[in-house]
Amino acid sequence: MSSEIVKVHEDLKAGKISCVQLIQERLKALKNSSNNTANYLLTEFAMERASKVDEKIKNGEEIGLFEGIPFGIKDVYLLQGQYASASSDFLRNYKSPYTATAIQKLLDAGAIPIVKENCDSFGHGSSTENTVFGASKNALNEELVAGGSSGGSAVNVAKGYTVFSIGGDTGGSIRQPAGYNKVYGLKPTYGRISRYGLMAYASSTDCVGPISKSLEDILLLLNVMSGKDYHDQTSFESEQISLGVIEKQIRGNEFKIGYYKNFIENKALDPELKKDFIKFIETLKSNGVEVKELDFFDGNILVSTYYMLAMAETASNLARLDGTNYGVRHSSDSLKEGYAITRSENFTEETKRRIVGGNQVLSHGHAEEIYLKARTLREQIKEQFDKEFTEVDIILSPVSTGKPPKIGETLKDPLAMYLSDAYTVGFSLGGLPTLTSPLVTETGIQITSAKGQEEKILKFAKYIKDIVE
Amino acid sequence: MSKIMTLEVLSSIKGAKSSEAVNELFEVIKKAVPLSSGGDFLQSGVQSAVSLNSLRDDVVIASSEEERRLIRENFPKEKKGFLVVSKVIED
Repeated sequence: MSSEIVKVHEDLKAGKISCVQLIQERLKALKNSSNNTANYLLTEFAMERASKVDEKIKNGEEIGLFEGIPFGIKDVYLLQGQYASASSDFLRNYKSPYTATAIQKLLDAGAIPIVKENCDSFGHGSSTENTVFGASKNALNEELVAGGSSGGSAVNVAKGYTVFSIGGDTGGSIRQPAGYNKVYGLKPTYGRISRYGLMAYASSTDCVGPISKSLEDILLLLNVMSGKDYHDQTSFESEQISLGVIEKQIRGNEFKIGYYKNFIENKALDPELKKDFIKFIETLKSNGVEVKELDFFDGNILVSTYYMLAMAETASNLARLDGTNYGVRHSSDSLKEGYAITRSENFTEETKRRIVGGNQVLSHGHAEEIYLKARTLREQIKEQFDKEFTEVDIILSPVSTGKPPKIGETLKDPLAMYLSDAYTVGFSLGGLPTLTSPLVTETGIQITSAKGQEEKILKFAKYIKDIVE
Repeated sequence: MSKIMTLEVLSSIKGAKSSEAVNELFEVIKKAVPLSSGGDFLQSGVQSAVSLNSLRDDVVIASSEEERRLIRENFPKEKKGFLVVSKVIED
């Protein structure tokens, strides 16, 4: 069992470390880190809870598996009374009035949040450079980007500052930074975990998901956070997944695997990532796994469809940020002028680009030619996924077209940044569950299945672990 | 009377203009040819919305005192115990 949650839990129970000591150590590591992953440290909030856990242990009371486990929260989630900035100037001093459902479930289980983590502002980015807190640095090489938008979260897990972190994934924002920092990251089926209390980027693809060093922890966290929520009508009830499914020996011939040939023939794919991916497909075949080549939509179509819809949705969602009810307000002689100054001065350039793009998409003329066409393409993408999953159990793909770029390169070329999401956005449009495993290629491998089939994904990820390690 | 709204007005962002990168994405969608076998999402009736039968009851749930306190604390401007909002204008 490689679960870090279980290991820390055993250490706490055995008295090898006190909870106060554990939390202090992790907070200190975050404070002294040069990776720039922390927007706010939750020192007082965390220490108060840690003392209570120690008190329980001292009194001989049982503690639950999650009690006292330090974790990180991407700074787009609400935690009552704590700052939630979305890495923006607009909300730099905004305090959460309530707590997100997924986070509340972790609090109820006894886990202790210690940090609000750096990310791309409102989730708008693929590198955690579009942030007013300064770029996060990759856990393995500080000259490189952390990935994004949940970059701070993936780095914190990889560096061991948090036992796990909760990221948010709209078009790849958990999976890509997980790959860049060599940790596991799951985007569950859309609706499996409530989005209540997650600041909306693109509501039709936004997902809450865990990032951790082990598959076991991904499974445990998925079980804790899943479930129907009164506050999110797109959420649904799901079955718990037993740890047993990834503890037993898994045979390759239990699965039918597919991969998209055109993804691998994409000229933008880094040659080394391509070579390692193809080599792994051959390994699967030689292990008796049935592998099928599939054809899919062109990467440019996937990216464009995703961004048209995501921009339209974010323009609508961020219209509420006008300085009236919360955030920064610049007063002016006229209401319109006040709105415009407030928004112009407090959104980042990339966020403004997406809002303006979204308003174009939804404007008269474009709405028919672009928005409605993108909606039709999305339905066709979903239909094709439905068809594929009648023939295969799992679809494998690279996580990213390239290796992590150097800090400073990504935001110079927004189009290249959008196109680099080619392998993640399609699965988001389909609402499918998909996991980054840090194995196989330098930026990992993406394992996807049909809606609600997280168990299959976790099993196959375990199979990969068994044959690669 | 039809009135053309500029991107600046639509977005409430000063100097808003279209971006080259986003325009490139527009072009891809304009040129894309949807599959002949796939349904137009408007025609097919495929919708992502929650069905009417699954909607929750329309009930008012009172927020906690702490939540109210934080909402007031977050409000950008207060004067003599009142939350100040801008004058509504029409033009």
